[in-house]
Amino acid sequence: MVRSVIRVVAVSFLVFTGCLVVSTPSYAYLDPGTGSYMLQLLIGVLIGAAFAIKFYWKKIWSFLTNRRSKRQKNEEEAE
Amino acid sequence: MKKKPSNGSIPGSFRDPSGFLFSRDGTLFRQVNTVYKDDYEHLMQSGLYQALIERDLMVPHTEADVPPERGEGAYKVIQPERIPFISYPYEWCFTQLKQAALTTLEIQKTAFDFGMSLKDASTYNIQFFKGKPVFIDTLSFEMYPEGEPWVAYRQFCQHFLAPLALMAYTDIRLNQLLRVYIDGVPLDMASTLLPFWTRLNFSLLSHLHLHSKSQSYFSDKSVGKRRYKMRRVSFLGVISSLESAVRKLKWKAKGTEWADYYDDTNYTRGGFQHKQEIVSGFLERVQPANVWDLGGNVGVFSRIASDKQIPTISFDVDPSAVEKNYLECVKRGETHLLPLLLDLANPSPGVGWSNNERMALIERGPADAVLALALLHHLAISNNLPFGMIAEFLSGICRFLIIEYVPKTDSQVKRLLVVREDIFTDYTQEAFEAEFRKRFTIRESVPIKDSERTLYLMERAEAES
Repeated sequence: MVRSVIRVVAVSFLVFTGCLVVSTPSYAYLDPGTGSYMLQLLIGVLIGAAFAIKFYWKKIWSFLTNRRSKRQKNEEEAE
Repeated sequence: MKKKPSNGSIPGSFRDPSGFLFSRDGTLFRQVNTVYKDDYEHLMQSGLYQALIERDLMVPHTEADVPPERGEGAYKVIQPERIPFISYPYEWCFTQLKQAALTTLEIQKTAFDFGMSLKDASTYNIQFFKGKPVFIDTLSFEMYPEGEPWVAYRQFCQHFLAPLALMAYTDIRLNQLLRVYIDGVPLDMASTLLPFWTRLNFSLLSHLHLHSKSQSYFSDKSVGKRRYKMRRVSFLGVISSLESAVRKLKWKAKGTEWADYYDDTNYTRGGFQHKQEIVSGFLERVQPANVWDLGGNVGVFSRIASDKQIPTISFDVDPSAVEKNYLECVKRGETHLLPLLLDLANPSPGVGWSNNERMALIERGPADAVLALALLHHLAISNNLPFGMIAEFLSGICRFLIIEYVPKTDSQVKRLLVVREDIFTDYTQEAFEAEFRKRFTIRESVPIKDSERTLYLMERAEAES
């Protein structure tokens, strides 16, 4: 699963960067469905990740702040 | 006038192997094929159909005990409630298309809760019914294959998001691209036409610009789609992202060609009120089953009909006027009035396969009564249409005609003639009456108080009993 996600992100990154230049028209598609499919997977991954980050943000934040305060306490004790 | 076939399959309903629409003795039916049996039963038994009907998101149907149109492969025949007037996305204003898009996404989210998904997201699956956008294709639901992305994603972007973005950020008139491209606006074209700064908007960057690039990039590549699966949270995230993108798109109707017309008219207050009373009286007299108001502007006169519970279509060429009219309908919760965009000098043609998939305007008639108020001079002078051709066209689309004659001495006509040579020597009331008498019987004519205009009530000659 993780490998699949990395592969989708890697392939789609090329598309992402490519789009940052001015678009050029392509007059015929052999299969516009594949591009839509891959792009949707990428957006799904990004949005899924954003949801996960939002969900776990508090836990991550409290973990980081706890670590910081613990380190400060240790430093104070050492002094 | 091209007549609709009274029996047989409906020309726009042939793409889906799950079933098709057909007409029999004036009643509309939908044949459900055996190949769709499991999906249809899940739709009906899972509670999804009931959930959609309760929220007025889908047109209701009953199962009909009639023989199928094509016996081989038939599972059931259903009878959907009939939509009185079929309209198309290139006839909708910005908010109508936006509401149709949001309705499609709401249906998709609801279907997902019941283990189903929309297999297509075409604008043609939405119709305006009793003042609201409703989904009309009962056979568009399929059991959701776990892990698959939304199969209708591309179609949604082409049919809804791209035209809405173009209307909001490039030009409101670009909804007419839908008239040319029956499967939605090609995304590379949308990407080219949208302003560069739209690439800084994440939703438009991803669903339109990157989507277009991705289509181009993968067009000649083979990808093993089965290797990639989509989690449910990601699936819902994509739908939510599309919904957010659509909601953020806004367009404000400005006072363009006709939207401020009533602030700039040459009627006195008494004359304007008198005109409304005459129209109301004519409608009371003929009691039409439905009304088309041609050049309806923001719907002031259309509402005289719709407030009498007469199903009324208010057509206008100006996107601002149609937008204002529709917003008023929404505000007032009106169920008998449908504002639509239409250039009467170039009305919607039959489009799609064999010019038959989407009906021309005249195929969707005739109306029982047509209002043609303050319209004649625009057709005759701005479009050089002789009275005879106008009468011929109108007699093909209605039985009763309420038409206003506007003389050359009227300030609105003088305004039209300011920048052009007056070549309209036949533009007289006598010539007007003579030409219209060839097609209609004049039942009544009333001069409008404090003006030089006259209102006529006519009945199509061959329609008289």
